[in-house]
Amino acid sequence: MRPPFGSPPSPGDDDIRRELADHLELEAEDIAHDRPGTSAEAAAFAARRRFGNPTLVAETMRAVWHPVWLEQLAQDLKHGLRGLLRSPAYAITATITLALGIGASTAVFSFGDHVLARPFPLMPQDALVWVVQRSPRQCPACDNASAAAFEALAQRSKTLSAVGAAQLWRATLNGRPDAPSDLVLGYRITPNLMSLASVPFSLGGGFTADAGTPGRNGVAILSYAFWRDRFNGSRGVLDSTIMLDGAPRRVVGVLANGVAFPEAVDFYTPLVLTASDFNDHVSRYLDIFGRLAPGANVAQAQREAARVSAQMASESPKTDAGWVLVPRPLKEFHSDDVAILVRIVGLAVALVLIAACVSVANLALARTSARRREMALRAALGGRRGRLARHLLAEALLVSLAGAALGIGFAAWGIRTAAGIIPPSMTRYAPGFAFIRVDGRALAFTFALCVVVTLIFALAPALRAVRTPLSAVLAGGGRGATGDAYGTRLRSALVVVEVSVALIVLTAAALLTRSAHHLLTADPGVRLDHALTMQLALPRGTSDSSARAFVQRLDTRLRDVPGVLAAGVVTTTPLSNNWWGTIFSVPGRPPHPDGSPLNANDQRISADYFRAMDIRILSGRGIDAGDRADTTAERVAVINHHMAAQVWPNGDPLGQTIVIDSVPWTIVGVSADVHHGGLDEPVRNEIYRAAVQAPSTAMDLDVWTSGDPTAMREPIRVAVAAVDPRAAVGNMMTMREMDARHVSPFWLVADIVNTFAIIVVLIAVVGLYGVIAYGVAQRRRELAVRMALGATRRDIVTYVAGGALRLTAVDLLIGGAGAVAFSRLLQAVLYGVGAGDYRTLLAVTALLLVASVAAALIPCWRAARVHPARSLAE
Amino acid sequence: MAPTADQIELLQGTLDMLILKTLLFGPAHGHGIAKHIQHSTRDVLVVEHGSLYPALHRLERSGWIASRWQTAPGRAREFKFYRLTAAGRRQLRAQESRWDALVRAIGRVMQPAPEM
Repeated sequence: MRPPFGSPPSPGDDDIRRELADHLELEAEDIAHDRPGTSAEAAAFAARRRFGNPTLVAETMRAVWHPVWLEQLAQDLKHGLRGLLRSPAYAITATITLALGIGASTAVFSFGDHVLARPFPLMPQDALVWVVQRSPRQCPACDNASAAAFEALAQRSKTLSAVGAAQLWRATLNGRPDAPSDLVLGYRITPNLMSLASVPFSLGGGFTADAGTPGRNGVAILSYAFWRDRFNGSRGVLDSTIMLDGAPRRVVGVLANGVAFPEAVDFYTPLVLTASDFNDHVSRYLDIFGRLAPGANVAQAQREAARVSAQMASESPKTDAGWVLVPRPLKEFHSDDVAILVRIVGLAVALVLIAACVSVANLALARTSARRREMALRAALGGRRGRLARHLLAEALLVSLAGAALGIGFAAWGIRTAAGIIPPSMTRYAPGFAFIRVDGRALAFTFALCVVVTLIFALAPALRAVRTPLSAVLAGGGRGATGDAYGTRLRSALVVVEVSVALIVLTAAALLTRSAHHLLTADPGVRLDHALTMQLALPRGTSDSSARAFVQRLDTRLRDVPGVLAAGVVTTTPLSNNWWGTIFSVPGRPPHPDGSPLNANDQRISADYFRAMDIRILSGRGIDAGDRADTTAERVAVINHHMAAQVWPNGDPLGQTIVIDSVPWTIVGVSADVHHGGLDEPVRNEIYRAAVQAPSTAMDLDVWTSGDPTAMREPIRVAVAAVDPRAAVGNMMTMREMDARHVSPFWLVADIVNTFAIIVVLIAVVGLYGVIAYGVAQRRRELAVRMALGATRRDIVTYVAGGALRLTAVDLLIGGAGAVAFSRLLQAVLYGVGAGDYRTLLAVTALLLVASVAAALIPCWRAARVHPARSLAE
Repeated sequence: MAPTADQIELLQGTLDMLILKTLLFGPAHGHGIAKHIQHSTRDVLVVEHGSLYPALHRLERSGWIASRWQTAPGRAREFKFYRLTAAGRRQLRAQESRWDALVRAIGRVMQPAPEM
């Protein structure tokens, strides 16, 4: 039943106190009256006994009027703060430990969130998909789709409201007639792509619908960075004309800052697709993107795309049988490569957080043990046990909030530091990198973490405080001879967790560091020092004979440039992650058993290339100046060792013939293998031919320099321009920089995990020291008794150290098992070192053992100095 | 205060009713109410005095009784007096009839009418 006119005003504390005091006074009077001769004190005492606990009653009365929890929360927090201020050492240690754990977690969360979960923050990424076309049998990891597949999906899909396509395009940009051209990177896109992806613009807008038709396609969109760097951010760029591959393009828009869709490029032009393109089912070269229709989800789109694929397979079985279109969330466009690294770091940081929580739980437990008498007394004086537990929780919450505040600082600092280290080669493929910061989502995550952390580390001590029987604490008047056995056991168990975690993270750090070191020092098979690489492009439409003449003149010219020891062109430079595939056959041999043709990386080189890049010739000869273009010269090829072993496992490839595009090429040499992807990726077949015999308009130029390669940038640029001013030069870098692109992500991860390892080892050593020292302090009487009964100092030290070693042994056994399990996960990213590398495990174990011994030393020393008589008298 | 062999612990929820019933005879302070319940039940019912006050405040918050500090007869200072409100009277009647029903029902179980 509700009160008729709201609640009456609540009585104040004074009111309640007075009312109860009145009662006790009246009752005492009555008792004195009923039993004449009773003293005033005895009457007051009897009245109190009849009344119960006034403190509790008053609290219950207040609870009638107020939502108790709110009032009590404030009170708990106040008490908590007071408690913490009384033991600043605990407060500071706990806060810093938690700050390390929470800060590291927040930083890693921000990374994962921006790189994996929201890599396209300026676009409605959850509504966007990219559609891959792959064949489980022929090409299970393929991404690109045919124009025919794009057409089919665009026409038939209902779950996708719009479908667009893009194709990467390396073009030459010609600024002024007298200036050398530049190599720029862009996308050809269907005119609808920008609008379907809701890409924001900072100037102008996207393409009109008819921009995809021939004759209407002379327009371009610029990326923000390109506009800022190349056009000084001038608004006048709109409607101005730029020359791409020699053709004029009118600039219609500039993208907003931070847009990198589908990856960071310089410009976009319309993709022209004609009826003949749509009939092409074989060339798969398009990145397809789609927007989910309102209410549709990725799973529905996948089912529908599977149906469309089945229709295509039945309509044109020869080309499309076995190929399926698979829509995937857009955010997965770049994440495959980064995901595993982020996952490793994520797991490592979870372990750091666990170690931090456990360590603070251990501290809190020690503190609770020390406060058992206080707790017991407060309980005896009418403090409710639930209330006492809540005091501890409030204290814990304060500590973790302080830890979180400090941790956010750590996280912001860590993110800034990491952002400085991350190489552009990584950020380019993960557009979210530019947006990484501690934002609202990260703060929400941190706060949630904080609550969880509090519960984890405060629950054990709180429960213990509640459960401790008063008599046990008060009866002894102090610690018993054997100390608090249960507390010591629990703390030992927590230390086992800390040290095990330390071993796991330390092992992972050691493996990752060794792996990164292997990557850095391993021989990629090419020259890394004193080597400069760049991309060259001749204008589109350059004839074979012009391209041939260009290569010959360039060769001659570069020989005269001072500082150049050797220079050669090649189709794709080693370690560049680029390939140029070609299909070949061997006369008299059937195609590959499963029907897929033999293929190899197609390299067109000049005579000095092998020397410039220090690639050894294992047998036969390399390509040389004698391999001329004229028709009388024999068409020759050099293959790599891998291909020789693959194609002629039992015979000599020298003198054999391979056929490319119906032309026979004689194998005259076998070269050593070089890596084109990272060192951790497999070597592929490779065919080298003379660029003059097989000309191409796009090539790389690799130069061996006598001095600092960066000093040769300008001289080489000038030399190229002198040979042909229309030749564009781009992506100049040293081979060291090229190599670093593969190694630096691994170094980054190794560095991060190393930092984590240092943190957890510190935490573990402090924890171990704490529990051993605590054990010694608790057992002073026991040790004193032993000494009084004749134990020598040596016996005592052996006794204490033995306990410490037993504890460490358990830690290392459990941690070792965990480390082996965690290493399995690392296998995928390790290079040159096995996950079960026993030497690493042994080294790490030995390191922790030494740390443990160090942690046990001081307590052992203290134990040895226990004074029997004085300790027993305490 | 543990009940002795001839004392009975108060049934849950009946304390409210006893307080309201006591106040039917006029305003009283907490101690007076406690004494009245104890005397009128010939000390059979045990009311821990401390438990009376939260109940009084609960009833006041519900609007069934009201309180005022006023001078007690024969005393030179003020005590907190409680009195029944109109809503309290209605509540008491409702509780009384529920109580009667309860007592009759339990009585029928404990002392069934002899079979005819």
